[in-house]
Amino acid sequence: MNLVRLALRNLKRRPLRTFLSVLGIGLAVGSALTLTALSQSIQDGAREGIHEIGGDLIVMQKGASGIFGGFIPDRTLERVASVPGIVRLSGALVALASSGGGNVLTFGWPDASYLWKRVPLREGRLPAAGERHVAVLGDTAAVSLGRKLNDEFSVFGESFRVVGIAGYTSIVNRSLVLVPLVDLQEATYRPRQVTIAHVSVENARDSSELARIRQEIEGAGDVVAAAPDEVLDRDRNFTILEAVSLAVAIVAAAMSALYVLTALVLATQERTREIGIFAAIGWSNGRIMQSIVIEGILMCVIGCCLGVLLSFLAAYEFPHIPTIGIRIPFRPGAGLIAPVIAGAMVLCILCALLPAWRAVRMLPAEALRRM
Amino acid sequence: MIEAIDRGSGLIALRGVSRIHDGGAIAALRNVDLQIREGDCVAIVGASGSGKSSLVNILCGIDYPTSGHVIWQGRAIRRKKEWVQLRRLRIGIVFQEFNLIPTLTALENVELALLGRGMTAKHRYTRAGMVLGHVGLDHRPHHLVTRLSGGERQRVAIARAIVSEPKLLLADEPTGNLDSASAAKIADLLFDLREMTGMTLVLVTHDDTLAARCARQIRLRDGTVVEDTLRGLISATITSRSRT
Repeated sequence: MNLVRLALRNLKRRPLRTFLSVLGIGLAVGSALTLTALSQSIQDGAREGIHEIGGDLIVMQKGASGIFGGFIPDRTLERVASVPGIVRLSGALVALASSGGGNVLTFGWPDASYLWKRVPLREGRLPAAGERHVAVLGDTAAVSLGRKLNDEFSVFGESFRVVGIAGYTSIVNRSLVLVPLVDLQEATYRPRQVTIAHVSVENARDSSELARIRQEIEGAGDVVAAAPDEVLDRDRNFTILEAVSLAVAIVAAAMSALYVLTALVLATQERTREIGIFAAIGWSNGRIMQSIVIEGILMCVIGCCLGVLLSFLAAYEFPHIPTIGIRIPFRPGAGLIAPVIAGAMVLCILCALLPAWRAVRMLPAEALRRM
Repeated sequence: MIEAIDRGSGLIALRGVSRIHDGGAIAALRNVDLQIREGDCVAIVGASGSGKSSLVNILCGIDYPTSGHVIWQGRAIRRKKEWVQLRRLRIGIVFQEFNLIPTLTALENVELALLGRGMTAKHRYTRAGMVLGHVGLDHRPHHLVTRLSGGERQRVAIARAIVSEPKLLLADEPTGNLDSASAAKIADLLFDLREMTGMTLVLVTHDDTLAARCARQIRLRDGTVVEDTLRGLISATITSRSRT
């Protein structure tokens, strides 16, 4: 007999309550993991997407809320292009466009943009110079829009013909729609505007050279230059997404702690007499508290295991959800599971301490009188 | 808190102990002075509500006096920690309601009293099994206590109380919940154990026959010691008096 076995016996003694408490913890931990993994997957996918499209630096309007907002005028782009060390520059208009009842991330690139040459075509071709109202779809976008080569579809009410299907690997880019810049500017009523510019520099591995170029770009106008990884850190949409997923994770972890608290408060109230017995046979306060806290830890450990299983189940089932699922696959990794479980465990232990502390405050004789 | 040693206080003594409940409405014990020597066999008798259980609770530190103090081997015991240590090593308690953990087996209930004593699990297991043998329960060590008869449960409770080889065994109405046959066996067991080990036995009972088997009888009335008899003679010192 030891404290762990004693705690296990106590948990088995009220199987329904233990099951419901563990299920509650499992659901809370599972939802926290699922939501944070989903949010991380979206961010990782977006980062990978920016890398895959190309460019060593991304130029945005200073103070812009994200890649969808802001405005960079032609003259500023010309000044940026003239910064020594920059070998290529391409403006891009980024918009979340309504199409076929859903929204698609749409990029408008100039005909001569170097970015077109980096598109990994799987089928069809790229738009020819001067060709209008044509589009290249990411393969996931083609599936979700239900379009194949030469099919027509609409973006912002304008009709486009599919001339190519891209075989991007990143999640975000697989859902992209690429159209000529002029068409997207017309469709969005933003003539001569771009929201970002992709910049390739001659010696991107030289950090001091990169820092100089960034400084000179920022001196060329009301713009900021960021490495592709940093772009999302400046994006307000992603900041909000991160904050929401963190808040949900905290609430979920707090819920799991509450389940432990409720279960243990009830258990210690019911077992007041037993706690009196432990005291009467010479158990110290510390040992009595340990026995109660171990019970809480056991519930939390089982609940966390269940939560991890549930999150993997969610990750497995999520891609089967039409439209959304195929765009944002996710999988909770060890780097995410560890902090969520650690957070839940800390909260559970804190919540187990309260009933444990209440239990040992009572006089043993008084506890033994309780039924 | 360790105070000056009171060498005349025997194994355990009460000095001016009162226990008041409900803000003074109920006085369970009133200014009790009492001394129990090592090896004594003491019966505490009295009507219901006379303060017998309160006295036992204070003697083992599961309740505290409102005034006065308890002296163990000449030292006043005031801190909870000291009481915990005494109950773990020196004082065993047997209750009328057995007070066993229902989810555990007989052996596990006895083992509980050995937790936290630096013994290995194997040593605890062996020791608990051996003590169950002493109380005549070696044939049912792995039965849940809920499946045992009243007499068997009380044997488990006695085994748990003596597994630490205490100097003092307090038994609060140990036969109160048993049929007469089981009660007689449990009483025999307690006296036999005392004979074998030489431990001090303090027995709270309503049963005059059982009380008569103890060398010393202390009678309580309204929280006061009204009689302290040694083998049929009234002791020279009736050491309790009421202030009221």
